[in-house]
Amino acid sequence: MNESVSFFGLVGRVSKTVLLLVYALFALFPLLWMIIMSLKPDSQMFTTTFIFSPTMENYGAVFLRSDYSHFFFNNLIVSVSAVLLSLVVGVPAAYALARFQFKLKEDIAFTILSFRFAPEILVILPLFLIYQKTGLYDTYFGLIWVYQLITLPLLIWILRGYFEDISPDIEAAAQLDGYSWWQVFLKVLLPLVKPGLVAAGLLCFIFAWNAFTFPLLLSDARAQTSTVVALRFLASDTVHYGQVAAAATISALPEVILALLIQKHLVRGLSFGAVKG
Amino acid sequence: MAELTLRALTKIYNAGTPAAVAELNLEIRDGEFIALLGPSGCGKSTTLRMVAGLETVTSGEIVIGKKVVNQTHPKDRGVGLAFENYALYPPLRVRDNLAFNLKAHGVSGQEIDKRVAEIAQYVHIGDLLDLKPAALSSGQKQRVNMARAMIRRPAVLLLDEPLSHLDARLRVQMRTEIKRLHAEQRFTTIIVTHDQLEAMALANRIAVLNDGKLQQFDTPLEVFNHPANEFVAGFLGEPPMNIFEVTLNSDRHLIVPGTDFALPLNDKLQRLLGSRARTKLGVRPWGVKVNSTASGSSVPGTVSVVENLGDETHVGVRYGEILLMASVPVTDRFKPGSKVQLTFNQDDLNLFDTETGDRL
Amino acid sequence: MASVQLHGLTKWYGKRRGIEDVTLDIADQEFITIFGPAGAGKTTTLNLIAGIVAPNGGGIRIGGRDVDGLEPADRNVAMVFESYALYPQMTVFENMAFPLRSPKHRTSASELDERVRRYAKVMKIDHLLKRSIQALSNGQRQRTALGRALVRQPDLFLLDEPLSHLDAKLRHSMRAELKEMRSQLGTTTVYVTHDYLEAMSLGDRIAVINQGRIQQVGTPKEVYFMPASVEVAQLFGDPEINVIDARVKSKPGGLRGLQVLGENVPVGVPADVVLNGAETVKVGVRPSDIDVVETNSAANFHGLVYSFEPLGTKSVLTIDAVDGTRIRALLDGHRTFDVDRRIQFRIDPYSLVFFDVERGRFLAKSKLKGEEARDG
Repeated sequence: MNESVSFFGLVGRVSKTVLLLVYALFALFPLLWMIIMSLKPDSQMFTTTFIFSPTMENYGAVFLRSDYSHFFFNNLIVSVSAVLLSLVVGVPAAYALARFQFKLKEDIAFTILSFRFAPEILVILPLFLIYQKTGLYDTYFGLIWVYQLITLPLLIWILRGYFEDISPDIEAAAQLDGYSWWQVFLKVLLPLVKPGLVAAGLLCFIFAWNAFTFPLLLSDARAQTSTVVALRFLASDTVHYGQVAAAATISALPEVILALLIQKHLVRGLSFGAVKG
Repeated sequence: MAELTLRALTKIYNAGTPAAVAELNLEIRDGEFIALLGPSGCGKSTTLRMVAGLETVTSGEIVIGKKVVNQTHPKDRGVGLAFENYALYPPLRVRDNLAFNLKAHGVSGQEIDKRVAEIAQYVHIGDLLDLKPAALSSGQKQRVNMARAMIRRPAVLLLDEPLSHLDARLRVQMRTEIKRLHAEQRFTTIIVTHDQLEAMALANRIAVLNDGKLQQFDTPLEVFNHPANEFVAGFLGEPPMNIFEVTLNSDRHLIVPGTDFALPLNDKLQRLLGSRARTKLGVRPWGVKVNSTASGSSVPGTVSVVENLGDETHVGVRYGEILLMASVPVTDRFKPGSKVQLTFNQDDLNLFDTETGDRL
Repeated sequence: MASVQLHGLTKWYGKRRGIEDVTLDIADQEFITIFGPAGAGKTTTLNLIAGIVAPNGGGIRIGGRDVDGLEPADRNVAMVFESYALYPQMTVFENMAFPLRSPKHRTSASELDERVRRYAKVMKIDHLLKRSIQALSNGQRQRTALGRALVRQPDLFLLDEPLSHLDAKLRHSMRAELKEMRSQLGTTTVYVTHDYLEAMSLGDRIAVINQGRIQQVGTPKEVYFMPASVEVAQLFGDPEINVIDARVKSKPGGLRGLQVLGENVPVGVPADVVLNGAETVKVGVRPSDIDVVETNSAANFHGLVYSFEPLGTKSVLTIDAVDGTRIRALLDGHRTFDVDRRIQFRIDPYSLVFFDVERGRFLAKSKLKGEEARDG
């Protein structure tokens, strides 16, 4: 808005754009390389130029001649269920943190958020032992439950911001109008936090989909997810980099597509908890 | 102390959008207190910021003294700005807040102390000098804010809505203090406000702005008694002026169709009306006299509402969509439902063109 | 239709006192204003009546029955919030219809439609029914909020500073319109405001509340002319009432004189003012009761003009009296004064309000002349 920085002018704007392009290239290059790898036949795998004859051979191997699709399906089940569970548990929690006053409220809120700080490696050993002992190892239920450590804090923090933004007067008005608290929640509050629900839900899905350490160590043949399985293509006599790349690309697809679809909601949802106005 | 001239000052934020400030021309004399008055979004704050140098000018000139200052850096323009939100430096004592500016200009320590003591006396903050902003009340912060703007002895003092965040009582007190301060110090001052009482009380002349355009620039009494157009007439004055549309009927009366309101035309009104068939009639509540008996040109009506407000009484008479308010002496006794006859002080009647809004 | 009784109502927010021992008796169909500065406890009181918060002590009866523990939905009370609290994603029509669609109301579709349209017309927003709330101006939102409350035809209306977010011009016209509507409404109403003009204009009675406690309950006239304390007197009037120290001097023949402002100007204490032998008092003088005169007289006070503020129809003159006391006078707008000019002024003893020196409580006021003398 302030034009007094006019002496930056044209030079400034051009160099800004150039810098951004360079960085974008730097960030996206691995992705690009991965896609290219997935389309290269084994024989041309180690070429350094971009000239190659593309083939769908790797995708065919992954989909048709391996059990990759089973694990893709696993990932879908586990991620979606984890998000749904987080919604059911997290939305009321977010509301409580936004509206009610109780002892240690901020401590509890921070503790919930802190689950995201801890690296998964830190807790994986005890979890592994517990899971073995309780029979949760390699089950959908086990994974869905442990995924809450990833999805729940995120969802609560995003939705808390949305709930805080709604004036408590609106709830009071609806109550005075003759609605019970539950009806107010369903008819008035939920529609108002819908953008938050969408943003948080999709974001949590992306994080759940990407989970690596938990499924790696807490699941095996039955429940393991596609993020882990992509590595399997490495662990044989000849390393089929092309197939690894293909598996990884397929694995990345759902979240990339989702992220592109909801990108504007994402920005809003992410910054909501941070910026209080 | 200096004169300030704005020549065709214009500010357009985004090409293609209407100007925030359009071709503003103002000549402010040395020592004059000017108010930029208007509703939010009218361009008053933008104008102030351009004078201060915090906004660039799209076109036009700002002249302080004899110098065109468009390209001059804010710190060299000789303006002192008191911000709306005080903007005091929290870790510094009041004394240091005041001195901050002077230090940056290389003024000697001795001179700084002298000036701090001086300004503390004018603004009555002597006992606050060693406190930090957190320990001050809003009113005190506001005075320190102003002292800081004044300590550099600016050519032009700029006040950005200084009273808007104070409670009613403090606002009235500070208003008196600012008025007194100006009477003693005579800084050339521009105040930005949306409160017309503030502008009326403080300014030597008021510049009324709307939608970026200057509506009128004159003394408070002139702007109040002879408003240039409908906007100015309706904006100044509490209770606000009654303004409503009337049409000329075949009987040479100005009427509100469908109601009992019928004001006979006299020479003055006829002359102002010209050939128009419709006009807007404006009359301040104090210009409406409410009587129990009819007289020559009185307008009949029935009292719809009575407000007893202590030292004044408001009587409202309804004509269709219009509720005509009159301020009457507290001794008058009217009740809703009373039949009354209204007469109007000829000098208090204003006509406005229905299209342009200009006063006729 | 319902009467409302508050007795001993107390509400604490943690360590902070919201209101304490508030007792108020509101008659059926009465329009009462609760008036006080920001933070006085007005909104707390409304929230307690509505059932949005529960009291720490005391009780509330609406329509003769104790509402302790009763949910807001069951109290048949409608409230207009200061923030309007309109449902953001809905249109004007849907906002007004929402209460009628609740399980408490069970209105048929045709009756709902008729009622919404009827009250939309009363509030002059019938042309906006299809508009989304986001697209409305402040004034239109306020009318929608009022309409939404009206549509329910409740026993009790609660209005929380409904005019405070409107610009000055709109505030004046809406105030007059509200007063007009009041007679048509006929429902018991509790109206909260910090604006004394609204309190005086709209209420049958005013309950003045400050720092969580009721200071005075009375008709607008009573509160303005016979304020219970200096604090109450200062809340009504702009510029606020001048409160100055005075000495009472006994004179022969049972007469009494007041010595004020450091001068020996004869100001007689009206005969009907009972002071119980007090020798020092505080007197309240309204700015409009100070008369600046042009002619010399022994009955005049002297002073210097500290500041002159023209306000259009009236002007405010701040005067430094002989003993340094600073007082304000409200004068007709046609007169102008230069700063530091010497002036003379008079005070009408029949308009003085007498307060005791220790606690600032009301002592007396003459009824012999002026406004109150004409009352029954």
